[in-house]
Amino acid sequence: MARLNDDAQWIVLMGFMVSFSLIFLGIVINQSTVVGQTTAEGVLEFPKNDILNVRSAVLQSSGIAIPADFDNVKKDISLIAMSRKNAVVSFGVTDAPPGSPYTKIIDIHFNNGVTVYNETTNY
Amino acid sequence: MVNYEGQLYTIEGVAAGLIMLMTAFIVVGTTSVYTPGDTHITDMQLEQMGSDALHMMNTPNTSAASAESALQSMIKNNEKDRFRETFLSFCNTTAGGTTDTLQYSTDVYYRDTLTNSVNRYHFAESRNLTGGEHAVRVTEWVNINGAGVPPPLDNRIQAVLVEVLVWRD
Repeated sequence: MARLNDDAQWIVLMGFMVSFSLIFLGIVINQSTVVGQTTAEGVLEFPKNDILNVRSAVLQSSGIAIPADFDNVKKDISLIAMSRKNAVVSFGVTDAPPGSPYTKIIDIHFNNGVTVYNETTNY
Repeated sequence: MVNYEGQLYTIEGVAAGLIMLMTAFIVVGTTSVYTPGDTHITDMQLEQMGSDALHMMNTPNTSAASAESALQSMIKNNEKDRFRETFLSFCNTTAGGTTDTLQYSTDVYYRDTLTNSVNRYHFAESRNLTGGEHAVRVTEWVNINGAGVPPPLDNRIQAVLVEVLVWRD
């Protein structure tokens, strides 16, 4: 067996440190794929487009003048959202109080079991 | 009798072994970047683009109260060819000049007043669905104003849900 040589311990130590920092970098790269997946899953899960869509449909239909027509549209949106989106959607339009700079107050409620969205807006 | 020589070499050997094992582990873990579970990432992009395209089509050109969006008049007048042209050009135009290969199939969901149930009719498609596509579903609410709505829709002011399946060929 070779005689123990105490020289060059610094070099060996530096070698260890470089190796471990390489491993650390490797772990960082390894985790980056998981981050991409969970982010994409989170984005798909959150019903951003559903809420935006319902909101713009409600704002559009708030201009309907005849109450019977508006009730029809309300029923349409509630029933179709329940059947196709698994979401409870309800909304209402009331006239703004006298003196308000707006003409209507619109409240929108959206609940798909995971995400709840409520809004009251002046229009 | 215990020999104390060579301890540094032993430690180095053990450390080198550990380093090699961990390197192999990380390399194996990193190369399988795209597993079937990761299709979420492309699905997300496809879904965002499809709903952006639909939303563009459902935006009127002017802010007048009576202004109709392109999508509204397409549904109201049953203009399948116009839908096809507009949607495909929104989805498939790329910056490089070459066109993408997205395909779609559209259904319209509406409420039947008599039975108070949700029904559907097929509106348009760029290619028949075979069932093998990996499609994402994008939707858009469309308010239909005024009379003269084609059957099977009820002839009244109503909101319908346009559902588009989008997939890359």
